[in-house]
Amino acid sequence: MQIDINNLSFAYGHKLVLDKLSLTLNPGSFLVIRGKNGTGKSTLIKCLLGINLVKNGMIFFDHNDVNNFKGWTTVGYVSQVIDEFNYEFPLTVNELLSITKLRKVKENRKLKLLDQMGILEILNENIGSLSGGQLQRVFIVKSILNHPSLLILDEPTASIDKNNVEYFYETVNQLHSEGTTIILITHDEYLDCYNYSHVLQMNPDLSYAFRKRTATEEKEAE
Amino acid sequence: MFLSFFSDLIEQEFMLRALISGLILGVIAPLIGSIVVIRRLSFIADTLGHFSLVGISVSLFLSVTVPGTLSVILSENPLYFGITLSVLGGLLIEFFRRYYKNYKEISMVIVMSMGTALSAIFLSVSGKTGTLYNYMFGSILTISWDSVIMIGIAAILVFFLFAFFGRQIISVSFDENNAKFLGVNRGLFQIIFIIMLSLVVSVMLESAGVLLISSMMIIPIAASMKIGWSYRSTTAIAIVFSELSVIIGLWASYSIHLPSGAAIVSVNVIILVLVALIRRVVLKRNIAKHPTEPME
Ligand SMILES: Nc1ncnc2c1ncn2[C@@H]1O[C@H](COP(=O)(O)OP(=O)(O)O)[C@@H](O)[C@H]1O
Ligand SMILES: [Mg+2]
Repeated sequence: MQIDINNLSFAYGHKLVLDKLSLTLNPGSFLVIRGKNGTGKSTLIKCLLGINLVKNGMIFFDHNDVNNFKGWTTVGYVSQVIDEFNYEFPLTVNELLSITKLRKVKENRKLKLLDQMGILEILNENIGSLSGGQLQRVFIVKSILNHPSLLILDEPTASIDKNNVEYFYETVNQLHSEGTTIILITHDEYLDCYNYSHVLQMNPDLSYAFRKRTATEEKEAE
Repeated sequence: MFLSFFSDLIEQEFMLRALISGLILGVIAPLIGSIVVIRRLSFIADTLGHFSLVGISVSLFLSVTVPGTLSVILSENPLYFGITLSVLGGLLIEFFRRYYKNYKEISMVIVMSMGTALSAIFLSVSGKTGTLYNYMFGSILTISWDSVIMIGIAAILVFFLFAFFGRQIISVSFDENNAKFLGVNRGLFQIIFIIMLSLVVSVMLESAGVLLISSMMIIPIAASMKIGWSYRSTTAIAIVFSELSVIIGLWASYSIHLPSGAAIVSVNVIILVLVALIRRVVLKRNIAKHPTEPME
């Protein structure tokens, strides 16, 4: 999916968080967003998703204004905190994944992804009993079940332990190679594990730097 | 005592009506109730019950003011007005919920007070306050075939909704932010659900009574939530609890003349307490058996 952001500014009340940000991502790009806490990374993503109402600036998905965008079912999203989810009512991982999308999910793909993420054995467990890392992986699987054409992940590895994070890199890179456009916020030191194509660095003074992946970075990755 | 109850169930037509309507409600109440609980709308069900009563009162009031056959229709089928007003109440709540965005529960107080006041006024000017008791606590034994049919229609609608949109309903209820990525319009979804809920609430009015409608929807779920291991099992167990309560409650209503809604809900509460107690004992025993099991 092609994404164009034009002079986007956003404020919570009087507090300006994004200041005239612009960038263009071609279909199939892999953007990594970096920056200290509170620099507006999550805010930017929420603007992209229409969760934050944009009043200043424009956002286009495949040349359609986000406000009139109809293709949300092809977007996958994992938020930074999944706190609004109802954990108290019994629901198994399998149920969560099978009620997720409109189209029926292919059984094979579901099992394969769960296996890839190292959580196949919790298929029939109650989501209320999972650890933070397990839950995060379940939500990642949920967001990619349907081969989204745009995948947005907000610090997806924050509570996944080191041993399992490898599987995650593989899964994301594989989706990227299949043509999914990816936007990923991360603090990861192991940036090299991702086949990213662009970097957006966000700074506390509301300045930002948007650039392509450099040749030296490519080399270091190898 | 039980034997005569069962023979009467089959032989007496009023018992058959009570049984059929009770058994249908026993399924749809917890089914809708599960969603009501997940979406934290328990108070809305209660409020709608009060507003539905306005329709009943208006109908009874009109029946003493208009002449002729219309009067008979109005007094014998107050449920038509009940359903209409319940749906109207649902839409009103929705309106106030959007109006007081950050204080959504205000909407329920407004609609509930409006409902209580209006029903009291219309009932008292119609001079039919005697029927109030039945509508407060339910009287499943006096239910008419018309009402049974209404319950049947409501049930068909609920089943239809769950059969075709079950996955969306459940998914959006668990995670409202997710609605958009499912291609579901959140506002429209909310309105459809509220209308559905209003309908179910109003057809429950006669058998459960205003004060006990939400209990019949929610208590079986409250009990099964603690022992279910999935959405499916939780709802299924709730339906079993609910049917059990209906049958025992119906028996109590018939043989010791308790108001039906009160009897059914009492059995529901007893089941809830039993489940909580048994669960405690089982949990304690498990802990005693595996004292060192890691928690994870
Ligand atoms: N809903 C909100 N209301 C008010 N202020 C917010 C809200 N969300 C975030 N902020 C503020 O906006 C700034 C950027 O937050 P955020 O986008 O979450 O940063 P990041 O994701 O980069 O850590 C922070 O100062 C934060 O306190
Ligand atoms: Mg953030």
